[in-house]
Amino acid sequence: MTESPANPPIQLEFAYVPRPGLLKIAVVNFLLGLITLTIFRFWAKARVRRHIWSCIHINGEPLEYTGTGGELFRGFLMVFGLFILPYIVLAAALGFWLGPNDPSLAGLQGLFFLLVYLLWGFALYKQRKYQLSRTLWRGIRGTLAGSAFTYSLTYFGSLLAKGMSLGWATPVMDTVLQEQMIGNMQFGDISFKFKGRAGPLYPTYAACWFLTLLALTIGAVWVGMEFYSVIGTEISAAFNRVFQEKNDLPKPTTDDYWTVWRIIGLIGASVLTIVLVVPLLWTIYTTKTMRYFASCTRFDGAQFKLTATAGSYAWLIVGNVLLAIFTLGIGAPFIAQRTLRYIFQRLRLEGAVDISRIQQSMTALPTRGEGLADAFDIGAW
Amino acid sequence: MAVSATYFDGKSAGDNPVTVTFNGPSIEISGASIGKIHWPVSGLHAIDPPALGHVFRLTHDGWPGARLVLRDEAFIVSLIERAPQLKGGVAAGDFLKIGGWIVGGLAFVALATWALIYLMPDRLAHVMPNSWRIRTGNAIEAAMTRNSKRCSTPEGEAALGALVGALAEGTPDLPAVSVHIYDIPVMNAFAVSGGNIIITRKLLDQADAPEELAGVLAHEIGHVNYLHPEAQMIRLTGFQVLASVATGSNGGTTVSNAAFLAALLEHSRFMEAQADAYARQAMVNSSIDPMGLKTFFEKVLKIEKEKGVGSGPFAVLGNIFANHPGTEDRIKLIEPLPAGKIAKPPMTAEQWQALKKICG
Repeated sequence: MTESPANPPIQLEFAYVPRPGLLKIAVVNFLLGLITLTIFRFWAKARVRRHIWSCIHINGEPLEYTGTGGELFRGFLMVFGLFILPYIVLAAALGFWLGPNDPSLAGLQGLFFLLVYLLWGFALYKQRKYQLSRTLWRGIRGTLAGSAFTYSLTYFGSLLAKGMSLGWATPVMDTVLQEQMIGNMQFGDISFKFKGRAGPLYPTYAACWFLTLLALTIGAVWVGMEFYSVIGTEISAAFNRVFQEKNDLPKPTTDDYWTVWRIIGLIGASVLTIVLVVPLLWTIYTTKTMRYFASCTRFDGAQFKLTATAGSYAWLIVGNVLLAIFTLGIGAPFIAQRTLRYIFQRLRLEGAVDISRIQQSMTALPTRGEGLADAFDIGAW
Repeated sequence: MAVSATYFDGKSAGDNPVTVTFNGPSIEISGASIGKIHWPVSGLHAIDPPALGHVFRLTHDGWPGARLVLRDEAFIVSLIERAPQLKGGVAAGDFLKIGGWIVGGLAFVALATWALIYLMPDRLAHVMPNSWRIRTGNAIEAAMTRNSKRCSTPEGEAALGALVGALAEGTPDLPAVSVHIYDIPVMNAFAVSGGNIIITRKLLDQADAPEELAGVLAHEIGHVNYLHPEAQMIRLTGFQVLASVATGSNGGTTVSNAAFLAALLEHSRFMEAQADAYARQAMVNSSIDPMGLKTFFEKVLKIEKEKGVGSGPFAVLGNIFANHPGTEDRIKLIEPLPAGKIAKPPMTAEQWQALKKICG
């Protein structure tokens, strides 16, 4: 082995340095995706990641993504052959054999969903493992040791625990999962260390939980009162007159319009509460978790700090959702870009790291990528 | 030209300050911590395409983990002159690659469609066990006729039996069928898997002679004979597989939903032509006047031109008469019995009356 020069430990700075070219990648990916019945999506992902990774700089040196579309495609073929195709063929055969309404079909479907939930954590872990193994900085790879099966079981257990405790097990389970994931992460031969407790997350969790309850209660009471006030005004008759479903009906009155608008408003407000207010409320907990988990994470003695706020995070999510809706999928690369940029503009590592001490890990590399995560549509990028 | 650069050896994250010079067909990288390394320019790869104001990162085939970071622009320019593959951007090769993708993609779609939609269904339909065909057919019939009354009287059933028997007389290998009349106010007839044939009351009402009904029935028996409904079910499963490749998910179970049922009975023009030919031959074989089918076709065509096909779930289901362009061509193909064959009525007048009254 060659003698490394004596570089003193240094402070690491993260930055997102944009490069032009993502729009071109996005458009070409979209067009090729159309032509190839979306099969190009694996190569598209690799191209986008290569671009975005290269915009993330640590002390002036960019990250490098070395994964290929071929690896992702092989991962997909594996999962398709082992998991999806057998299910479709089995379901079709059962349907033809026992008739399309046979209860065994529902059983098979149930089994499939159970399997999906059981393997969800597995897919997440494998995806992280693959991505780390294809991420280089200064020529050194990341790795994720540990067992994807263990993580998968913990993940499944956490779903059950969260459900059965009406959500109150969430901070504990989130912490346990984070510890399993981060504790097994390495850059080169240096491990990340995670040391955290769920306790500090509980005040925020409780606040979000009760605020959600309050929002839903207010919503329910308001909707109930509104409905109560329109009872007796023959709602369906008013709708019929306004929309003239039958031509022989009398002209709608002002009251009819008022009734119709109120009902539409009510439904709209209920939907808005559920899809907008509640998720935005939970960004308070999500960002608290992100900040706390970052501060619990150490690398070579240095401590991470993330300055994510609920407001900025909510804005990120709203922007991403709007991008997803209004660009018809062409904007997907920009969603990935926004998300990673959000993190790396706010991430710091406090304390010095002795870079020259970091050696390449000898862990074997995964040869295929993310088949299950693709099938489950986990975090598209 | 010797410039300073940074070298990462792929073994340690520490950086190695180096000097880089051209040395014949190679670049020579030398530094206190790494000694001298020679990278032939032909094996160089750019990590990212070169851009003004950005550092230029290189690797080499023979040193896949190593990275060389160049900052000197004059050196980068002359290096790219020697190793044009580093230039990046859009080259002729890229168009070839994209063209390859397009051709490959289209070929894949065509091949997958051909295999799943054309090649496989017919073959698989023929190896499907009989009990599967019957069970599926019963379930589909039940789903399609959920809200309708089945019409059945002993005399009417006997008349239907006589009609099938008359067709079987000339075509001994006529497939086993069971014909069911339902009180449905839309004019239609269709075959589902397992040999079940459904005829609506409206269609029965429109038929003025047993020969007309015999023609419709023979057409549906043609579908049964060629296992069209079975092939169609398998074809839909093929579509499901294609959809799940495209989305990466399982595509849902469509076996019992309405869109599935509708698609199930939507036969292709080729299938209709096959069933027509079968019907014409079967009628000739049994000496039933094929002109009955012709009159009925024409009558239906006229009604639909005047009143439209109507609405409701049964109108969108495959309609044997007017669903496809070219119905008039299909009518033209129907010819009278060949000279010397004497037409026989497919059932007695009493049987015909009993059948007409089967729905009360």
